[in-house]
Amino acid sequence: MNTIMSAKGLDVGYENKTVISDINIEAIKGQIICLLGPNGAGKSTILRTLSGLLSPVKGFVEIDGANISRIKQKNIAKKLSLVLTDNVSPSLTTVNEIVAMGRIPYTGFMGKLTENDWNIVKESLEMVGAYDLRERYYSQLSDGEKQKVMIARALVQEPELMILDEPTSHLDIKHKIEIIRVLQRLANEKQITCILSLHDIDIALKGCQTVLLVNNGVIVAQGAPEDIVKNGCIQKLYGISGAKYNELLGSVEFVGNSIADIFVTGGNSTGINIYRALSRNGYGINAGVLHENDTDFQVAKIICSEVVTEIPFEPISNEKVQKAMQFIKYSKCVIDTGFPIGSGNKGNVKILNYALTINKPVLSIRDKSECHKIYGENSEKVIYCDGIFSLLKCIRKILENNDLFSKAV
Amino acid sequence: MTIKMDKKERNSTLFVLGGILLFIVFILNIGLGSVKINVDEIFKILVSDSDVNKSHASIIMNIRLPRTMATLLGGACLATSGLLLQIFFGNPIVEPFILGISSGSNLFVGLVMLGGVTFGMGTINSMGMFIGSFIGAMLVMIAVIFASQKVKNITTLLVVGLMFGYICSSITSVLTALANHEKISKFTMWTMGSFAGFKWADIKLLYIMGLPFLLLAFFMSKPLNSMLLGEKYAQSMGISINKFRFLMVLVSSVLTAVVTAFAGPVSFIGLAVPHIVRISFKTSNNRVIIPAACIYGAIMAGLCDLISRIILAPTEIPIGAITSIIGAPMVVFLLVRKKGSEF
Repeated sequence: MNTIMSAKGLDVGYENKTVISDINIEAIKGQIICLLGPNGAGKSTILRTLSGLLSPVKGFVEIDGANISRIKQKNIAKKLSLVLTDNVSPSLTTVNEIVAMGRIPYTGFMGKLTENDWNIVKESLEMVGAYDLRERYYSQLSDGEKQKVMIARALVQEPELMILDEPTSHLDIKHKIEIIRVLQRLANEKQITCILSLHDIDIALKGCQTVLLVNNGVIVAQGAPEDIVKNGCIQKLYGISGAKYNELLGSVEFVGNSIADIFVTGGNSTGINIYRALSRNGYGINAGVLHENDTDFQVAKIICSEVVTEIPFEPISNEKVQKAMQFIKYSKCVIDTGFPIGSGNKGNVKILNYALTINKPVLSIRDKSECHKIYGENSEKVIYCDGIFSLLKCIRKILENNDLFSKAV
Repeated sequence: MTIKMDKKERNSTLFVLGGILLFIVFILNIGLGSVKINVDEIFKILVSDSDVNKSHASIIMNIRLPRTMATLLGGACLATSGLLLQIFFGNPIVEPFILGISSGSNLFVGLVMLGGVTFGMGTINSMGMFIGSFIGAMLVMIAVIFASQKVKNITTLLVVGLMFGYICSSITSVLTALANHEKISKFTMWTMGSFAGFKWADIKLLYIMGLPFLLLAFFMSKPLNSMLLGEKYAQSMGISINKFRFLMVLVSSVLTAVVTAFAGPVSFIGLAVPHIVRISFKTSNNRVIIPAACIYGAIMAGLCDLISRIILAPTEIPIGAITSIIGAPMVVFLLVRKKGSEF
């Protein structure tokens, strides 16, 4: 394998004050390496040191086997180019002119560009999909367009390595994806190594070959994202409280109210939206019975106070049904998420029928005829809701009445 | 490709126009005044001394020609110096006067004129004035650069410049209080800013110091262009930033000092001209902008000096008053018209 940049036992920081110690990086040609970590973890400091803008406190950075501090600035510029977070907006400068600046390490004393230089500018603009912008003034572009232009400028330096500091921040999802796509093309087609920092965990884990987790002055872990990002890893890295990051789904779920008044069924992803909506409105939820291989389970385990679960691919056992009924007894209302019914989850129908029998309010997303088929006579008692909005309205009414009732007693 | 051609055409048109205007301003500055001299007579006097009106020849050769030459080069130096500072600080509203650099020059020229400090030159002469002016400009410049590394905020930097200006002027006023009357009146005239009273010795120094440094500024256009994206990008494109920073400080200090030493603080040319030039040439490419700033800086200084001489003739008003009156609203207008989007 072809190593383009490496550092062993590198300490980085400012004026002998170490921010992050013992960094070991080996960047292979055509690899995308991503630094992940909370704000202030020192990602930018690492990137600035790797790019030679900052001297390391200890150790050294090698490019192509040579110590970066011994290489002439101009020669570094031919191997390594940068995309920074600095918000530069030179007035009256066209995209063409900005991108052409990347040729500075190659041009002569007065910086005059040759036909060949202009061809490289054109190619780079095409590569990032910004060729149509070439005659526009840079300062009038949107953030996403600007970022593409800055990548084109970095590309024009014909580098073997590109270092990008948070290239996707402030961008909308479309541009975020476009930027990562462009970097992947550079890596695959031109064998350019990209080292970058990102705040989009999801994009980082799915788009980069190697991930470095940075926190508390050390590299916590590094390797293929699938190997190092395990359950709870992101939670810990960023020190998130009040919400949990689900590595499997790549989603953030807010932790719900711990006092649960509502019991929600689920299955086959019918529950996720309802869990989220209820939790968002401050209601505490218990859920069940969910199979552990159901997507609903992934979200319910974070949002809900208690989840009654069943082993994957097994029919819901009587024991679990009993457990769920206990929860229902102490709930103020029960919600039927309209899950599809098969031989594996007949238990959930049993639970809802029990709730109807003991006269708990049952709210259902299903239509009347379907409910009639499922619950028989009991279906008369079901409160029908045609969406999240009406569901929430009904719940509010039920809980208010309940409060009045309990006060009267 | 068509637009690129348009750009080239625009540039050459504006350069030719600038050349013509410069020539017209040159002739007007020599011809107009309390004594009016015709164009053909000006040529005759400039080309040969035979067969000309002796008093007219004397007016031109001893008063108006040196003054015009000083004004034109002074304008070019100030505009270029302002341009360099604007690029270096990445800030469109700086110039030597605003950053307090001119005040630094003031103070040290004050030391020369009032305190009799000669900087090793024995007697007070042009070179002594220039060296004083240069040391003052350089000191404030370095101080402002240090400040700019601590404070990134533009407004704060301007306030810092302003404060340096105040410090320098307060010391200058102490010097004034201690000096004798004859020296004070001469110094006061100087602080108002005027291109009047240039001697050929001054002109020689102005051109010997000014022209090479203008040329040097032009040769710096490649690193200056890379600075449009900020220092870090410039460095990442292979510019050795320390060498460049040193050159930048040297060139802009010399350019400011050489004008301030003889003409006193002349404000706003350094601010207004780069803007006007950038907007009319529609580019920030310094290979175009630096020569353009020289030409249009010369034109603006020439026009302002002309106005200051003839508007209330025979009384002459300080050129600083004219440049401020024209320059300040112009900058405000330009900033407002561009709706801030360009910055």
